[in-house]
Parts: sequence; structure tokens; C-alpha cells
Amino acid sequence: MKAFSGEFLWWAVRGIWIALGISCFCQRPAYAQQYNGKELVRVSLISNADSIKSGQKFSVGVLYKIEPGWHIYWKYSGDSGLPTKIEWRLPPGFKVHDLQWPLPLRDKEPGDLEVFDYTGETLLFATVEAPDPLPAGPITIEAKTDWLVCQSLCIPGRAQLTLNLGSGTSSASGASQVFDKYAAQVPKPLAKGVQAQFSRAGKNLEIAVSGVSNGDAIDFYPVPPSDAVVGHVVRNGLKLTLPIESETKALDQIDGILVVGSGENRQGYELNAAAVPANVHNLVASVGLGTILQALGFALIGGVILNIMPCVLPVISLKVFGFVSEAGERPEKVFRLSMAFSTGILICFAALAMVVILVRATGMQVGWGFQFQDDRFILGISCLVFAFALNLFGVYELSVSARATRGLAKLARGQGYGSAFFQGVFATILATPCTAPFLGTASAFAFAQPPWITFLVFMFVGLGMALPYLVLAFNPKWLRFLPRPGDWMIRFRQFLGFLLMGTLLWLIWILGQMKGVDAIVELGGALLLISFLAWIKGSFWTPVSSPRSRVMAAAAMCVAVLLAAGVYRFVTRPSQLVWEEFTKDSLEKALASGRPVFVDFTADWCLTCKTNERFAIDTPQVRQAFSRRKAILLRADWTKGDPAITEILKSHGRAGVPMYLVYPGGGKEEEAVLLPELISSQTVLEALNKS
Amino acid sequence: MLGKLLLSCGLLVATCGFSLAQTEIGKAAPNFTLPDTNGKEWSLANFKGKYVVLEWYNPDCPFVGKHYRSGNMQGLQKEFTSKGVVWLSIDSSAPGEEGNYPPGKLNEISSRDGAARTALLLDPEGKVGRLYGAKTTPDMYIINPTGILVYKGAIDNKRSTDLADVRTATNYVKSALQAVMTGKTVTAADTRPYGCSVKYSSN
Repeated sequence: MKAFSGEFLWWAVRGIWIALGISCFCQRPAYAQQYNGKELVRVSLISNADSIKSGQKFSVGVLYKIEPGWHIYWKYSGDSGLPTKIEWRLPPGFKVHDLQWPLPLRDKEPGDLEVFDYTGETLLFATVEAPDPLPAGPITIEAKTDWLVCQSLCIPGRAQLTLNLGSGTSSASGASQVFDKYAAQVPKPLAKGVQAQFSRAGKNLEIAVSGVSNGDAIDFYPVPPSDAVVGHVVRNGLKLTLPIESETKALDQIDGILVVGSGENRQGYELNAAAVPANVHNLVASVGLGTILQALGFALIGGVILNIMPCVLPVISLKVFGFVSEAGERPEKVFRLSMAFSTGILICFAALAMVVILVRATGMQVGWGFQFQDDRFILGISCLVFAFALNLFGVYELSVSARATRGLAKLARGQGYGSAFFQGVFATILATPCTAPFLGTASAFAFAQPPWITFLVFMFVGLGMALPYLVLAFNPKWLRFLPRPGDWMIRFRQFLGFLLMGTLLWLIWILGQMKGVDAIVELGGALLLISFLAWIKGSFWTPVSSPRSRVMAAAAMCVAVLLAAGVYRFVTRPSQLVWEEFTKDSLEKALASGRPVFVDFTADWCLTCKTNERFAIDTPQVRQAFSRRKAILLRADWTKGDPAITEILKSHGRAGVPMYLVYPGGGKEEEAVLLPELISSQTVLEALNKS
Repeated sequence: MLGKLLLSCGLLVATCGFSLAQTEIGKAAPNFTLPDTNGKEWSLANFKGKYVVLEWYNPDCPFVGKHYRSGNMQGLQKEFTSKGVVWLSIDSSAPGEEGNYPPGKLNEISSRDGAARTALLLDPEGKVGRLYGAKTTPDMYIINPTGILVYKGAIDNKRSTDLADVRTATNYVKSALQAVMTGKTVTAADTRPYGCSVKYSSN
């Protein structure tokens, strides 16, 4: 096979060098690989200056001429391949800057593999600063370069190149144009007006790009950190999605090149992850205007929908009639009154937004993470969404304290603009039992946003809620278009509960992606507790229930919370004993050591097993006895019904777990001591003492 | 605010459309059956109770070459097969592509290299390679006795074809096997593989 012989030849040559003891790093003439008599990559070291003077900045680079059909790799090679490497050696005093990489191509290989590469010709170059004064003697620049050149097969190559420059005067070289050509292909800093915003959704890193024209093709070439594995960018209009396959610490952004345009007209822009967070606080830079407008539009619609909640809808017509009668026949006054009323609503929402922003700022100071990649945040939000969904379903009701209501009502009494304003405040607060689920959920999501967006969104919800009053005050005749209050409002509210449940499902999915099935079960436990508390609240702690019933309800809630906390601690408490996995081999080996052996046959779903482990085995006395006797602990995990373990259970006359075998004197006994299914620490200690 | 909710419901629908990565750490490794170079059929399901290493292999790839010429791969194979680990090398090169050889030739290469693997499996259609999402040669996977994937990714941390790097590299496969076999958790369980692309068929 051709490939094999070419490959083999190369290895043979390498082998001979190694045999001769020549280090790979010592001086030797330029070497490039031959394949079928062709030199696959021809390299030359060039500079844009023939001669330099003291302190001059100039460029040096390696020009790679690549055989048609073959490619070499960019600084992130993609799914396979190897980045091209250059090491510079310069005379003392010379300073070399970062290597400049022209924009590579994104290529596909069979099997849905993606690589970033160069074909034909490319120049990798760097700026060099000459010292002042120049050192005496010739100026020799050396470059050692390693590359991997691939077609469908890959061949590594390397070369050591030298270039001599004159000194004293500055003169450009004939290669200047080559440098100009490739410098134009190097990605630029993000252009003014072009913005990219990173956000994390589960396993995906999303990049929203704005400031480019809609018809432009956009792409992202990632440069992931070495401890992360990323998938392939999915392009969808101005939104790019990069799946993160593995990471050591959660990535909320990533270095890379934003590519705008296609074919010959592609332009790369540096996206420097470290530089992006600074933009978040910049009012215009981070989020695209389109995204914000969309969010505000939805917020407005959401606000309007709040009006058909059961506690709000009946109020609207009354209020509007009130304004009309108060103003008599003067339409300007109707308008002004409803403006005052709407201002009251808006002030309420502004206050709410401020509370959210304040809590967020305080929380961030004490180190709470309000991002979607923080699992505690997802957990918190999920609980909240669930609690509010139960409220919408009518499991329990929220109520505003009667005293506060009375106080507010006093302020709102009377006529005039002042009271209209307070009526607006009053209406908003009075509506909370119905609107809280949405506003609460909204607040929770708003925690993940920068403060100014939070504020704007809340104001738009307020505006949405005030909208019907403004419109109807403008023309009260339109009141007849208002839907009539009725049972359907309750049904609608319940229906909205299902939307919240859908949101919850989405959150659970994110959490599962982040933390796996255990986290989901923990969340499930928390939701179970919440539903119980909600049920108690709705059944025994309502505005009409007796004081006795309320005390009982409070007590039941406390007991439930304490019980849940206890169960959680018990379940998640890590074992302080070190278990080895049970196999026939590990048992034989353990017995051969002559030390006592304890085998625990258990399963994740077996409550008795867990109870025994917690209260009989993993106790201070037993731990001490185990360590004193240097006992070997083996755990046979029957969670998935391993047939090998089933057989052993059967041979001891058991149909299932738990089962405990103790070999007090190691392999000296033929028979193991079989402990009962329910054990105490005493049982274990006695069995151990039998030796 | 309802807006946010509606948005997230939309997202929910959108996310349901995605299918996720084939193999994930902490999840069951998908089963497969492949013939080896001697015609024997091997099935992952038969190795419950044992640690299994999968090594994507292409004898002509210089990265694979680095680990065989330095004796690194054979050393690992010897060390761990002697401890009861099942070591399966898989050649997913398509017919006509680099690294696709008749079984006899592959056996010859194996004995030339002194390979100490359990078996060399043939996957010329790339079915198992694609099932596992193997990207490069080598690309390494470790499956624990209960069939859970505990490691995937590179063989070591020196991404090169330079033989000299083998000695100074941190071998991820070795440390992962040592960790899981002594009941510890793997510190680097999911690393970025490096090497030649697996030479899959283009259909």
C-alpha cells in the first residue's frame, strides 16, 4: 500500500536519527517530507525587511506552499490533526510578538469530522522589535517549525530555517507584498458596531451576533481551552450555537474568531472571551437591539395578559367608569386621570424592579451565582416556578395582608389626580395574588440579566398592564369589547399553570445536563416538599381558617421541612468507609491476603441496605473495628441486577439484597458468616470478633 | 414576563429537537458486536464485570505510530490485560482508505509491533466508530465493569507525533485505569482526543 510505504519511510528515517542519538532539537538542515516523490509542503523563512536599523519593528514569517489536495492546520485544528507550530530563535535583545494566523478554512472530513486548515499557501508571521542599539555582528533569525500535512492520510513534517538580515539601514524586502496579502487575512479586533453576546443554555454556548447585515453569513471558529472539548458550531441566522462536550470548569464564553461573509469575502473578527464581560455593563454593546426589542415586546404582551387575571379583570370597567363619571364631559380630564392611575402602576413595577436589582447585587456580593450555568440558581428557579404553578392551579392562594390593604385604601380614597395615582398603586398590589406567579417567575429569570434590562422589562410589563386603562380612558365606548368576567378566567389561569410546568421541564433538562440524574432526584424531592407545603397552606391556612388550624398547619410545615432536611442529609452523606468493588477475583485476592473481609451486597434502590449502611456499618465503632483489623471492604452493587451477584445471593439462599458476608479470619475459614438482613453495629462487631 | 415564559417554552420545544452526544461519561456505553482479525465475533455485552478499553486504531497514522514505535501502547496493553482488563483495538478505516488492510496483514503488523491487546476488531463501515463518536486515531474509551463509560478522549496530554514526548507526557488512560481500579474518581475523564481523523467511509 502506497500510504504505508511513504509513512514507513518517514518513520524509518526518524528511527535512524533516534538510533544515532541525535536529539530532535539539535541543529540540522531543513527537512521536509517527501510523498510519492513530491515535497508536500515547501517552507521558507521570509521577512518584510532586507535590512533593519536600531529599534525597528519588522515582520518575519514562515511561508508554507502546500501541494494541491493537502492541508496544514490552524491554531485549533478541530476534531483531528495538529496545529502548525513555530519556535523562533532571535539574537539577544530582539523581542518577538504573538504569531499571527490568517483566517483558516472550515473543512469537513468523512464521518462528520470538522477541521480548520490552510490549503495552497499561507504565511504564519510575527512582529519583531529590534533592540536599540543593534548588537554587533550578523543578524540571524531562526525558525523551527512543525506541521502535520493531511490529505486523507497525514504526514508530519518539520524544518529548521534561517534568515540573515543586514543591519544599519532600513530597507524593505521583495516579500513585503506577501506580508501585506496575509496580514489582510488575519482576523481584526471586533469592528465598531458589530457585537457578540455569549450565553449558556445547558450544554450549549450560544452566541448572538448583532451589527452585521442580516444577509451576511456568519460563523464562529472556536479556540477552546485545552481542557475543554467542543462540538461543531450550528448556524441559525445571527445566532450561533456551540455544543460544549466536556469542560473542567463551566465555560460561559470562549475565545475564537467571528467570521462574517462567505467565500473570498470572509472577514474574521477576534472574539476575546476575557474582553466580553466588560461589555456586559456597557449599555449598548452587549445585547443586540433586536433581542431587547423582542423581549420588551413580549413583556408588554405579558403585561396586557395580566389584566385578564381573575382579580384584575372585574376592576377594569369599574375604574374606567369611575374616571369617566369623575371627569364629567371633559375628555382631557379622563385622559389625565388615567395617566395618573397608570403612573401608579408603573411606579409599582419600578419599585419591584429595584428590589430585584438590589437583591441580585447583594446576592452577587456574597457570591451567589445568578447565571444559568450555576446549578443552584437553576434549582432555586425551578422550585419557585413550581410553587407558582401550584398557585395558578389553585392549590393555594396568596393574599395581601388586610392591614396593608386598608392603609392603602385610605390613601386611594377621594378624587383627583393624587388619589388616581394611589388607586393605580392599590390596583397593582391588590392584583398580586393573581400576578405574583408571573412577576415572581419573571423576577427569578431577571436575576440572570444585567440590571438595566431587568428594569426595562419590568417597566414594559407595567406599561402592558396599564395599557387597557389608557386605551379605554381614551374612548370609554370600547368597554364593550372587554371580555366579561366569568369562570373562563379561572380556567385560563389554570391553563397558564401548564406553561409554567413546561418551563419547569426545560429547567429540569438544563439541571440534568449539568449535574446528572442525582440532581434531578434532589430537585424532585424539593418539589415534593413544596407541593406538600402548598397543599397544607391551601387547605388549613387560608384567610378563613381558625387560629388553631393555622397553628397546626405551621407545625405540620415545620415537621415536613425538618424531615426532608434529615432525609436529604442521610441520603447524600458520603460514606466514610472505603469500599472496593466486589468481583470473584477481588474476593479471592482479598481472602488470599489473610485479612478479615466484609462483603456488602447492596443496591441503590434498597432502602434497608442504605439504612443498614448508615446506622449499622458506617458508625464510629464499626469503622474503628474495621481499621484496627485492617479489614478489606467489598461492595457488590446489585442495582442493575448483575447476574454474577444474583448467583452468589442464591448460593446463600437469598433472593435479594441486603446480604452481608463476613470472613473474620480472611481465607482461613471455609464458610463465611452470614449476617441477618436487619443488622446493628453490635451484629457486625460480634461477627468480626469470631476469629 | 409571560413573554419570558413563552420564550422558554419555545426553547423547550427547540431543545427537544436536539439529539445528544452518542457517548457520555457516566452513562452506559452502547453495545456493539464486531469481528476480529481472526473472524471471531466480540460483543461488549459479554464483558460485564470487567474493565474494557477501546482504542481507535490505524496502523499508518503517525500519531498511532508514535505510541507503537515508542512501545507506549503495547506497554499499556501488557500492563492492563495482565490485570484482567479487556483491550479492544478498533480499526474503522473504510476500504481504500489509509489503515484499511486485510485481516492477515493486520495480524502481521500486530506481531511486528508486539501488540498485547485482547483483540483487533474490524469496523470498515465505521458503524461502531460513529456510534461512539470516535474522532481520531488514537481515541481512547474506558468502560467499567457495570458497563458505564468512565473515560473518553486522548491517550496523553502531549499532542504531537514526536516520540520523545511519550516519556514526558501524562498518560490519561493509564491514570484513569489506575484510578477506577482502586475505587478513586478519574480526575480528567473527558479530554480532547488528538490524532489523524478516523478514515471513515464518506457515505
